Amino acid sequence: MSLRVISMDAMGRFVASSRSEYRVVGPKPLHGQYIFGDVESPDDLHLNYTQTVIPPKKYLFPQREELLRFKSGDGEIEPVFDAPPTILLGLHTCDLHAIRLLDRVFSSGHVDQHYRRRRDNTLVISIECLRPCSRHSFCKSMGTLSATDAFDLHLTDLGAEYTVDVGSEAGEALLAKHAKTRRATDDDYQRLNTALAQKWPHFPYRLDFDVSELPSLMRTSYNSPLWKDLGERCLACGSCTNVCPTCYCFNVQDEVDFALSAGRRVRIWDSCQLDEFATIAGGHNFRKTRAERQRHRFLRKGQYQTDAFGLLGCVGCGRCAQACLAHITPVDTFNTLHHERSGGAARPKGGAA
Amino acid sequence: MSRPKVAFFDFTSCEGCQLTVVDTLQTHPELLDAVEIVQFREAMTEKGEDYQIAFVEGSCARKSDEERLARIRQQAQIVVALGACAHLGGINAIRNRLPLEAVVNCVYNENGDWSETHPYGRPRLSDRLINVEPTAKPIEAIITVDAILPGCPIDREEFARVTRQLLQGSQPRVPDYPLCVECKFKENVCLFQRGQVCLGPVIRAGCGAICPTYGESCEGCRGPISNPNMDSMQSVLAEAGLTADDLLSRFSMFGTYQMMKLE
Amino acid sequence: MSGTLIETLGESLYLPQTARIRDVRPITAMEKLFTLELPSGLTLDHNPGQFIELSVLGVGEAPISISSSPSRSNGTFELCVRRAGDVTGALHRMAAGQVVGVRGPFGRGFPIERFRGKDILFAPGGLGLAPLRSLINQVLDERGKYGRVTILYGAKHPSELLFKDELAAWKERGDVELHVTVDRPDENWTGNVGVITTLFARAQVYARNTVAVTCGPPVMYRFVLMELVGKGIPDGNIYLSFERRMKCGVGKCGHCQINHIYTCQSGPVFSYAEIKGVQEAL
Repeated sequence: MSLRVISMDAMGRFVASSRSEYRVVGPKPLHGQYIFGDVESPDDLHLNYTQTVIPPKKYLFPQREELLRFKSGDGEIEPVFDAPPTILLGLHTCDLHAIRLLDRVFSSGHVDQHYRRRRDNTLVISIECLRPCSRHSFCKSMGTLSATDAFDLHLTDLGAEYTVDVGSEAGEALLAKHAKTRRATDDDYQRLNTALAQKWPHFPYRLDFDVSELPSLMRTSYNSPLWKDLGERCLACGSCTNVCPTCYCFNVQDEVDFALSAGRRVRIWDSCQLDEFATIAGGHNFRKTRAERQRHRFLRKGQYQTDAFGLLGCVGCGRCAQACLAHITPVDTFNTLHHERSGGAARPKGGAA
Repeated sequence: MSRPKVAFFDFTSCEGCQLTVVDTLQTHPELLDAVEIVQFREAMTEKGEDYQIAFVEGSCARKSDEERLARIRQQAQIVVALGACAHLGGINAIRNRLPLEAVVNCVYNENGDWSETHPYGRPRLSDRLINVEPTAKPIEAIITVDAILPGCPIDREEFARVTRQLLQGSQPRVPDYPLCVECKFKENVCLFQRGQVCLGPVIRAGCGAICPTYGESCEGCRGPISNPNMDSMQSVLAEAGLTADDLLSRFSMFGTYQMMKLE
Repeated sequence: MSGTLIETLGESLYLPQTARIRDVRPITAMEKLFTLELPSGLTLDHNPGQFIELSVLGVGEAPISISSSPSRSNGTFELCVRRAGDVTGALHRMAAGQVVGVRGPFGRGFPIERFRGKDILFAPGGLGLAPLRSLINQVLDERGKYGRVTILYGAKHPSELLFKDELAAWKERGDVELHVTVDRPDENWTGNVGVITTLFARAQVYARNTVAVTCGPPVMYRFVLMELVGKGIPDGNIYLSFERRMKCGVGKCGHCQINHIYTCQSGPVFSYAEIKGVQEAL
């Protein structure tokens, strides 16, 4: 679709105007980091931001989500759909790639209507990353440093203005209704292309091999001695999966009132890294050790998701590396496995580029 | 169970957990329709001895406590350890490392034998120590416990949830995963990243990571998870500049009883 | 409402339909057999080997294999449930007339059409008889379509044997070979003693034309597989039904994964050929 241009001021007015119809969510500063939160006014707009603690996934797949309400006596049950019209504003392209994977997961096989309704009521406005947002990110290596087709609008910061790449009819309609933009000129195209061309050298390649080899690398890494090492360091705290934009494992629990007559069924984020994740009612735990669980996590990221959905389960955002107190990182893990296989010496652990 | 009879008991403790229960009765008054409270010194004068569920706050620290606990165990179908003192031994157990006399001196100094504040004149402190055990223990060291409500104090919502699970006939379950889970859910910036240290990675969740949420380090009042990676935790704390001694003193706030058992 | 239970997931994947408990029959100290009835117009339409997600509202949901065979559905179905957790514990306290929630049937059952004309060797261990009973009764109800039928059943203790009346009936039939063993006999036990693998020597197997079906506790599979493979039964003719933590039943929640495989979708029934190379399977 078309390329438009919006000024910084117009951007603020766009947000203010959209708020009449949508919950607008964007990055906001907190204790030296950023989190996604409600953008209440144009002053709340921080589109030039560093990595958020948790990805914007929480607006499509919340930490805690009501699925059903029921009355237990007569068995009256009804589903709960909470899907307010929402604009996710300022997503980095890694998070955009992650949403693409979540879309496939929740829409293939049995379609998850609770996710789907929320997703269908959400407009995604992403922003081109011109500088790295975290010392742990490795988006360039993972092929996620460019936008996918999952956006409705995609911004590129040209200094005093943004170009707006219109990715969907819904995005176009939103823009037409709430924003003052102008058609991009040849000069805008040139400035955009310059910005895009100049950004790449600022991002390091951090994998020592081509990412297309990752699934096959993981396929032959099941018996690597690395897993034992990771298992010894892993705290099994679940932080890596809780900050991951592509993780979606969940637990389901019932909550009742004191009369035990009515209640709700909720789903809550779960983590394959926690002790009891694969434990059945009789007590048998199918993934008892931290080493097995770390292995499962990385195989899922590098191989299983690609096999099942055609997309890698890791988008290179580096949030897990940032969150891990034991310095377990996907870059070190993938590189170590690569060097193990190719017989070369592994790079020293723990060093961020 | 239809409207089970419930009793609250206090042993050596600050009674803060029972105060949290009183708070819960205000935020969840319907709880009073679901159970019949027959004994609760903190909140009522009656003392019914016919109860099915006993919530016990406090550690076992006096010689007479064992017998009293045994009586409670004999009467109650379900005994719940209410709070860190009952669950872990908690703060009371810090004194376990010292001889009783040294503790008395530390708390009351050398003049401690003459307590000015005692209402019945001036009994010799050493006389009053006759009933004190040299070590303070969690109640599980004395009797079987069916469920725990960890924390200093307990978490109000967790108390409500565990009570509902008991009413349902389910085995009450409190989280057995690290605090980090809840801290990340809340999107707190990790205290380690803010230059502080925190015991969260090995301590049981369930409090909603309340201390880190307000910028304070987790001090471990809910006790360790069942399978903590202490070696890795030590490396993490060492990296944050903590010596082995610092580390021990951090864990000893609530975990002295457990640490001494391991030694 | 009309149609199959699985079709009702069109509104929400997680929305159970209510089913009424028609009958509760104690089987052992730990297991009860529940007969459930769906609302009128709804049918379960299951294959032997499939499972449902059973809700006790307010307590939670648990995956339970279907114990009755489609050939005997009659508008109701049966679940043989061990008291093992909160949901099954609460279910055990329920009585006929009360209401539970059901979703499903989920997963891939036994490919029974491929069993036609073959000899079938059943090797259930312990509670593993619960899901296999669905298949066994289906086979017995169309007995003429199959060759020899052999059942080797092992339990820990005589008091833990499931479906004793049906075991007796199978024994009576002239067209089923049944061997039962227990690990720990009591004073009244006159039958075989030993783990399930001690029964295999008794079974005459024409390997090339035999399909073997097994289900039991996690530790059992390796040993039973050694026997079955040892008898020369092709890997593709050995079927195993796995237990995993199947929380959602619809391939999303992640708990039941065996490496890349969602047990609730591709299983719980697998051929040995399918999972032989899957490291987390056995």
